[in-house]
Amino acid sequence: MSSDSCATSGTANETASSAPEPEIGPTRRSLLWLKSQLLVKTRREAKDLLLKILFAITTLIVILPFFLIVIQLAVTGLSGLTLDLFTTFPGASLTGGIRNAIVGTILLVLVAGGVGIPLSVLGAVYISEYSPPGRIRSTVEFASDVLAGIPSIVFGAFGFAFIVVFLNVGMGLVSGGLTLAFMMMPTVLRTTQEALRQVPVSLREASFALGATKWTTTWRVTIRAAFPGIVTGVLLAIGRVMGETAPLIFTSGNSLTTPTSILGPASWVASLPFTIWAYVSDPRPYLQVKAQSTALALLVMVLAVDVVANYISRKVTRRLV
Amino acid sequence: MQDAVGKFVLLVPAFAGSALIILILTFLWYEATPIFLAPQGGPSIVIQPIWDPNRDLYGIALFILGSFICTFLAIAMAVPLGIGAAVFLSEFCPPRIRTSLRMIVEMMAAIPSIVYGLWAYIVMVPWIKNSFAPAVQSNPLTAWMPWFQGSTNGLSVLAGGTILAIMLLPTVVAVSDDALRSVPSSYREASLALGATKTETAVKIVVSAAIPGIGAAIVLSLGRAVGETMAVLMVTGNSLQIPFTLLDPAYVMTSIITNQLGYAFVFPLWRSALFAVAFVLLMMSVSFTVIAKWFVKWGMKTRGLV
Repeated sequence: MSSDSCATSGTANETASSAPEPEIGPTRRSLLWLKSQLLVKTRREAKDLLLKILFAITTLIVILPFFLIVIQLAVTGLSGLTLDLFTTFPGASLTGGIRNAIVGTILLVLVAGGVGIPLSVLGAVYISEYSPPGRIRSTVEFASDVLAGIPSIVFGAFGFAFIVVFLNVGMGLVSGGLTLAFMMMPTVLRTTQEALRQVPVSLREASFALGATKWTTTWRVTIRAAFPGIVTGVLLAIGRVMGETAPLIFTSGNSLTTPTSILGPASWVASLPFTIWAYVSDPRPYLQVKAQSTALALLVMVLAVDVVANYISRKVTRRLV
Repeated sequence: MQDAVGKFVLLVPAFAGSALIILILTFLWYEATPIFLAPQGGPSIVIQPIWDPNRDLYGIALFILGSFICTFLAIAMAVPLGIGAAVFLSEFCPPRIRTSLRMIVEMMAAIPSIVYGLWAYIVMVPWIKNSFAPAVQSNPLTAWMPWFQGSTNGLSVLAGGTILAIMLLPTVVAVSDDALRSVPSSYREASLALGATKTETAVKIVVSAAIPGIGAAIVLSLGRAVGETMAVLMVTGNSLQIPFTLLDPAYVMTSIITNQLGYAFVFPLWRSALFAVAFVLLMMSVSFTVIAKWFVKWGMKTRGLV
């Protein structure tokens, strides 16, 4: 099989170099490709073809749930996805919109990002710029890998026992945001570290040669060059914590309006995932539908963040390579 | 001068992660000690199956068993499918299709677990109740099978395992695909030059060279499966019984914490038992991470890839 394809490609190259071939359209080219793939002479080739088809079918099965989920949510949820849903607060017996949840999610992400992003970016700067490869670096890397593997409900239980009760902060925006910040840290740290690693050494050396200190080089040169990569990591982490429910159940409380203070019962805050859970646990049928509209809104937000992050990272890798 | 100060200042955030892990460990341990020291509890709660806080029975073995069964089901479904898809993506797929397939896989990884759970609750659970269970129980080919017995309302181990498998697939596919692609192409060329077909090369050469990465993918997804909360909570039925068939409901470790921590907080022993469950979960996830790292290191060494 392989020798056949080698031979045909060789002759194709020769004819192409001797005389310009007539243009082959993309449809015809893919048909030819398909024909060459389906050409079977021996049992081994038949087995080869069968396994290839099997692997292709497996891939289709793997991506199928994505479409099933999107279609299901779109079919049932799209009708409820009106402007009113985003702009009104929930009214009597939970009719009305989910503005409380959208504002709440944004506030929680802001608090989480405000604490989590500086901590993890600075940590990554320390281990990749200031510490030599060795024990310190591997300790920090190991810690963030372990942190990334801890189940979200364990973060929730820890946040409840430590921040809410032991530190006596109480449920609300601060406790929920801090718990989410803990969950953000490993993602941001590892992606920032990767982004810093991809900055060429020559950039740093050029800065040193001009007489800059390490501090200046790090902040004015290295971080600037790694900035798109860092933004990618931050966006990925935000997309991840936006959809977390379990850490928030015991830390953020719930509310039908937006929080009016930083601490205390007035700071209790709703979030999109928690609202979905509350609505779907409710037997009233219109809330089941609203849960799907809310899930669709959350899905669109998370996927949008994810796509932007991937777009930035692809663009940057292309430029660096 | 500025450098020295800078270095010192950055030391704090660098160790924030380590400090946080130590804090979580000590705090969960501190919260879990009362049940381990109390006469009603003791370390043997890990193997006692009866959970009834009203009678001071705090056995958590049922939840550990439930988690294990769901995880095992999920891994048994997700690993073969995920590796198959990864082989297709890295070995046979035309590059243009590959980019969009990878993008879909990454999007699947980004879908929040509550959305998966909602979908499973609305679509999969009724499907198991109304179509799957009657079909397998009336079909003489499958009706005798002990794992398809019993009546079901759809909320079952099967639903939990399947939605978990769907949630694990993106991780398995992405990590295995990276592992397969990091195998040097000279290996493939050598195998093809010896006359092996493309699938023979893929299955026998590339997959076996990428075993450490694939193993790490499996162990990492084990950790995710044990710790997954919302989706499993919504579809496994949360019933205090041992699941004997695939259609029986179960209660997993993450669900019992989510469901009862709120009420249990004023009862010291009950609360402490829930934190013991959290501690067991934490230990499991930490050991899975360590095993995955060790696996990659071992594989790199034995395969001379370092």
